Amino acid sequence: MKSIYLFIFTLMCSSILNAASPVVRINSTTQGFNASQPWEKNRPSPISGLGTHVEGHGILTTASMVANASFIEFESLSGDKRFPGEVIAIDYEANLALLKATSDEGQKFIDSIDAISVASAAKKGDIVQAVQVDETGQDVFTDGKIIAVDVLSSFTPGNSFLTYEIKASMQSAGSSFTIPILKDGKLSGILTSYNSKDQLVDCIATEILTAFLEDVKDGEYAGFPSLGIAVTRTTDPNFRKWLKLEEEQGGVYVTAVARNSTADKAEIKKGDVVLAVNDTEIDAQGYFQSELYGKLYWAHLTRATQKIGETIKIKIKRDGEVIELSAELQRRQEGIIPAHMNDRAPNYLVKGGLIFQELTASYLRAFGKDWQTRAPLSLIDVYTHPQDYEEGRNRLVFLSAVIPTPATLGYENIRHRIIEEVNGKPVADTQSLIEAFKHPKDGRHTIKLDSAPHIIYLDAKVADGIDKGLLRRGLPALSRAK
Amino acid sequence: MRKNDPILKLAVGACLLATPLSAQLMTKEQVAQKAAKERSMADAKKHNIADIYESIVRIEVSTQVSNYSTPWATGRFAGGTGTGFLIGKNRFMTNAHVVSNQQRILITKHGSPQKHEAKVLHIAHDCDLAILELKDFTPFENLSPLKFTNVPKLESEVRAIGYPVGGDRISVTRGVVSRIDYNAYSHSFIDSHLVVQIDAAINPGNSGGPVMQDGGVVGVAFQGLRSADNTGYMIPTPVVKRFLTDVEDGQYDHYVDLGVSEFPLFNPAMRTALGLKKGDPGVLVGEVTKGSSSDGVLEHGDILLSLDGNIIDSSGNVTLHGERVNMHEVVERKFQGDKLKVEYIRDGKKASGELTLSPFNPMRIYATIYGEKPRYTLRGGLVFQPLNRNTYSAQRLNNPRVRKIYSNYVNDGLFVDREDVVVLTRVLNDEVNSSIAGFSGNAVKKINGVDVKNLQHAHDLLHPEEDPEFFVIECDGVDRPLILPGGNIDAVDERIQTRYGVKHLSFLGK
Repeated sequence: MKSIYLFIFTLMCSSILNAASPVVRINSTTQGFNASQPWEKNRPSPISGLGTHVEGHGILTTASMVANASFIEFESLSGDKRFPGEVIAIDYEANLALLKATSDEGQKFIDSIDAISVASAAKKGDIVQAVQVDETGQDVFTDGKIIAVDVLSSFTPGNSFLTYEIKASMQSAGSSFTIPILKDGKLSGILTSYNSKDQLVDCIATEILTAFLEDVKDGEYAGFPSLGIAVTRTTDPNFRKWLKLEEEQGGVYVTAVARNSTADKAEIKKGDVVLAVNDTEIDAQGYFQSELYGKLYWAHLTRATQKIGETIKIKIKRDGEVIELSAELQRRQEGIIPAHMNDRAPNYLVKGGLIFQELTASYLRAFGKDWQTRAPLSLIDVYTHPQDYEEGRNRLVFLSAVIPTPATLGYENIRHRIIEEVNGKPVADTQSLIEAFKHPKDGRHTIKLDSAPHIIYLDAKVADGIDKGLLRRGLPALSRAK
Repeated sequence: MRKNDPILKLAVGACLLATPLSAQLMTKEQVAQKAAKERSMADAKKHNIADIYESIVRIEVSTQVSNYSTPWATGRFAGGTGTGFLIGKNRFMTNAHVVSNQQRILITKHGSPQKHEAKVLHIAHDCDLAILELKDFTPFENLSPLKFTNVPKLESEVRAIGYPVGGDRISVTRGVVSRIDYNAYSHSFIDSHLVVQIDAAINPGNSGGPVMQDGGVVGVAFQGLRSADNTGYMIPTPVVKRFLTDVEDGQYDHYVDLGVSEFPLFNPAMRTALGLKKGDPGVLVGEVTKGSSSDGVLEHGDILLSLDGNIIDSSGNVTLHGERVNMHEVVERKFQGDKLKVEYIRDGKKASGELTLSPFNPMRIYATIYGEKPRYTLRGGLVFQPLNRNTYSAQRLNNPRVRKIYSNYVNDGLFVDREDVVVLTRVLNDEVNSSIAGFSGNAVKKINGVDVKNLQHAHDLLHPEEDPEFFVIECDGVDRPLILPGGNIDAVDERIQTRYGVKHLSFLGK
């Protein structure tokens, strides 16, 4: 049944290139860390997709394809050859990864795949082709049309990049992840998602691929810059009047400035209205007029049009006055709550059965689909208002759970409490937590929590004994702090 | 107990079917003997039983339930039935939930078609009890009131009498006392008191009826369990008697509250750190609620040793009348203004003190409100309501900051500065506010730079003597102010009133 469907589909496809495909299958075995037992990894789960051989660079795919991979493998389209692979560079924000084969033999195989170069920037209305590979190893080309260009986030929430939206009627068979999108036989983008109901493809735009590959070249990946502010539109006429904005003036209202970010260094303040970035004016909804793509969201101006280290000029309105500010662009700073933990093991400490962790967005998301209502309210508040908890902290250390042991008798129901002090020392991160636990007083550890019972104690000697026991019971290590 | 509980209805049907079946298994002689015995027993009790039935009345209530979603609306008209019983001269006892939100109450005597108008004399939502009074008591004057006795023994038989669904006449259900426990009273949502569980179903309509044993009332039937068959709950006499004593002075004062959360002292390291030896009594004071009875006497970190001389063990229990119960039971039978002696250890030193018990009103933010008109104020199409359980569930407030304020309102002492947490619950769209609609569901922190204390205060700030150029409204956790143009705002209000059919622009309480 499936093969008949495939056959019909192949006939319908408008263009089949004679040249061999520039693609290779990628099998990746991904494995994240267990949110409640941070010393171990979750059950491994395999995912398969495609990689594209880009001339002079290697195999390009999305970051989501290889993030948290314990093992990466290249597979020939016909399935007869397999070679292990590794990551050269990865950008979780832009959702891109460059791979190579681990062995010389594997590299020879990669070299045997036809390489293509990156196309010039596409625009609205352009016809492109999506390359899929069916079960027999045949490549299948589907025509599509770019119907919109937008600035969207495809992997790490809150990181928006230039994205093509393509109308294409793709088949469900074959690999449907990380499909290359070609324009005139050159790589135009990589598919990040396909909505079969609306037949819409989201595709990372050419400009982003080019900037990524350019950056990788010198062997040191710097990443995309970021301004580090949160904004809201100024379309509300009463709000505009109150802000003393003129009729024809656009601008977005700054609601938050990330600590140590580019914006922080440029001395942008909450309540400022950003009018223009590098002389490009922003309208009240937050859009600017792009020569190539028409109306685009302003975030594009601070992320992909410039490089790290370059100077950005920002025109703002503060208390009715227009001010020019500038700063050197830098990469997005991780606040006290990391937005993602890809390929990073979570930090933790187990002490006498108390489990301490650093709060991350991944920890909260582990509460499932409705994590925003199911995760503990106190931790959600840290996530939504990190600025209220920043003082004296690099990370937010909390007591995530309690293993019932003789040392934790009576503490079994304490969980999800923010740690304020241990043995009289402030706790900035796991490293300082470990340090603080080195100095018990009168043979006891004193742990100060944010809520009742406020202070709990551990017998230092008993706790050490239990820690040894936990290691015997299979805990690989009592702590991780990197 | 909530209306319409089909599971419970089925269970009663099954019981009725089972009785004739067991009769068939006996020989004719046995049947005859049993029937004769039952007749004689019935004869002996006949007079008494008839009296009891006469004193148990059917209560018909029509209600008007306030609408916290559109607080200016009239609300929903509905009604229901329940049971009550005579406890004194023109005093009928029933459940608070039977007569909550009432507009009209009619009482019917057993076997009489006559309906008599009644009113609520006292109502206590926290223990689900109420006392009704007839306009004209004359037709009931020759009836004898029922007498309350004590808590029935485990495994002893009791009878629940009332007017449950499934017919108009009086109904009797027998059951056995299966558990005596401290449990939740679902009517108010937040209160827990002593409860007696019986294995007889308490059906809708049974509510407020007496549960009898040996001719005396041992409890008031009040709630069932949806998840289990044949389980009913009654309010035992200690709770009833407390209520009756409380209203003796003509008004109900609520339960008093200690205002302390305790943390068990099991951990050996914690015990050593606090200087406690093995077997020493005492429980750790986790949190002392600001403004509560204990505020100023106890502090967090104290080790609470005794309440009125009742020694507290390390898990927070005391021994009362030979039973080991939660220490808060000591406070359960106390009244507003009563004194309580406390002994505690602070900084390693033994100390004692006396506190004056009082109800703790901020806690009522978590309790369901009955029989009140919802408070609100409307300005420029913006609807402001105080945060409480009714508003919270009617408006489905799920904004994380509002949820945090609500859950920490008592523990963090937020009520000290914010008697009401005023929430922008709704925006009635109009050209002056069209950009604000997306911000509904947020708590209002400041209006024109002034911290909002309560709804009246918010109302005053929104109605200054001279209209400002802008009303600047700042919300908790929202990073931009909401701007409402001043100047012509009264005209806007008028327009909105006509457009949306709002009769009154505000109701700020009595």
